[in-house]
Amino acid sequence: MSDQKEERGLRELYDQDPERADYLAFGRKTETDRRGFLKGAGLTAMMLAVGGAIPFARNMPSGLIPSALADTPEDFTLFGKTGIIIRNDRPVNLETPAPLLDPDVTPIENFFVRNNGGVPEATADPEAWTLTIDGEVDNPLQLTLAQLQSDFETVTLRMQLECGGNGRAGFNPSPRGNQWAIGAVGNGEWTGCRLRDVLQQAGLKSSAVYTGHYGADPHLSGEPGRPSISRGVPIDKALEPHTLLVWGMNGEPLPLIHGGPLRVVAAGWPGSCSQKWLTRIWVRDQEHDGPGMTGLSYRMPRNPVPPGAEVPHEDMVVMGPMPVKSVITFPDTLTDVRADEAFEVRGHAWAGEHEVQAMHVSYDFGATWVEAELEPPTNRYDWQRWRARITLPAAGYYEIWARATDDTGVMQPAVVPGWNPRGYGNNSQHRIALNAA
Amino acid sequence: MRGRKLRTGLACACLGLMMAGGASGQTSDFGGLPAGPGQLETFGNCTACHSTMIITQQNFSRRTWDEVLTWMVEDQGMWEMPSETRQIVLDYLVTHFGPES
Ligand code: HEC
Repeated sequence: MSDQKEERGLRELYDQDPERADYLAFGRKTETDRRGFLKGAGLTAMMLAVGGAIPFARNMPSGLIPSALADTPEDFTLFGKTGIIIRNDRPVNLETPAPLLDPDVTPIENFFVRNNGGVPEATADPEAWTLTIDGEVDNPLQLTLAQLQSDFETVTLRMQLECGGNGRAGFNPSPRGNQWAIGAVGNGEWTGCRLRDVLQQAGLKSSAVYTGHYGADPHLSGEPGRPSISRGVPIDKALEPHTLLVWGMNGEPLPLIHGGPLRVVAAGWPGSCSQKWLTRIWVRDQEHDGPGMTGLSYRMPRNPVPPGAEVPHEDMVVMGPMPVKSVITFPDTLTDVRADEAFEVRGHAWAGEHEVQAMHVSYDFGATWVEAELEPPTNRYDWQRWRARITLPAAGYYEIWARATDDTGVMQPAVVPGWNPRGYGNNSQHRIALNAA
Repeated sequence: MRGRKLRTGLACACLGLMMAGGASGQTSDFGGLPAGPGQLETFGNCTACHSTMIITQQNFSRRTWDEVLTWMVEDQGMWEMPSETRQIVLDYLVTHFGPES
């Protein structure tokens, strides 16, 4: 059984790369500021961590572990995350290992993080956070978070959120971007109001066909006013009653690293449609064309292409809903089990805008399949629990393959599906390895 | 070699663990970029906006690296490198983070 823990205590980080640890832990950017001034959220985080103000923060050399922390490194984790895989530290991109996806609702401390830009500073007054609705509407609106919370019906829904590039690491040749394996997905319990209700108050014009979302995250270049990413959804998806303006996650105020105090959750579509740190929704009379909507980003070839093809931009179309997929959350890969003894294999399955209708597992490399028990979702877009009992017939090496089928009969492929320049939509079957003794 | 990908078998299942193990463990010099001609130019030009991890997790062909460099300038607000420097950086990237590395 693998016990390679991705968990990183602060001490370990400092040992390996002091400057990077500084950045991860405290937001100090020593590469751009050699004196490594502690600023804003970074300073607050360090003060919280050492339990008080640091009078000479300005003089503290970067890369030096504060001595108050040195004895308790294991208490300090990245944005409160534990057990997470660091795909990138700047911008922060964190992946959840499959076994930590086991709970029905993914805990915040294990929930994946995808950022295209920087993390904005935490706002001192979340209730005053303001959202602008403009564009193809009769009455442009400016609503504070407090108004969203009081003027519109509050709903709480369990919905899965998945990065469009989840599974990218499986494509060959390697497409550009974070090399996600399987864990750029999670199932949150989101609290907010329906985007539909807000758009109706603004009064959609008949010319409204698409939304364009803007957030407060700074572009990596530091250029003021330049959006890191600005994607959107067709107006039908925006008006779908499960598309929410979210301020709560798993019963807590939406954490900063997940877009707090306000974000979109447009479940079943690539995660980038669910803008974090939301400040504006521009209702458009055409498909939105902000950064992340054009070129090769978050787009798929209109017609299938061979692996490695150079696809002209005009032959690319915006990605729609995510495909049917599942994950094995128990047992962990490389676990030892006993031959001739039944054990449970389980996980979750989800299917973009659809419901999962059937779930199968195989322990003979896909030759035969066992139907798993499948639970219904608590609401649309909730991922669905599945369980199967399996007995491996003899000692040896086995792989468990998992295959979900959606309510239109579409199932996960055994091999990586159509290659595309940026590596989106890999929904091939999740597999784990087991040793039977 | 860190960052190398398993292409067959259990690629998806194991990759996360393998890459996570290799993701740090670097010295702070040049953000963990391997030594060699172009290390300094690459570090100098490529770490103002993001860390080296965005680079070290990739294995690209020359053409794709070339596209990335162009994309940085055209879409991501990067400065134009002098063509000589650009060539040095491109060679460095292909040598250390190419399809076979
Ligand atoms: C002016 C800022 C800036 C500079 C300088 C810069 N980059 Fe980037 N880079 C970005 C941004 C912004 C992204 C997109 C991040 C995202 O969306 O996740 C990015 C993404 C990338 C990616 C991921 C590819 C992808 O498609 O997501 C690679 C690889 C990369 N950069 C390499 C480089 C290299 C090599 C250099 C030096 C030649 C460089 N960058 C310099 C801003 C910059």
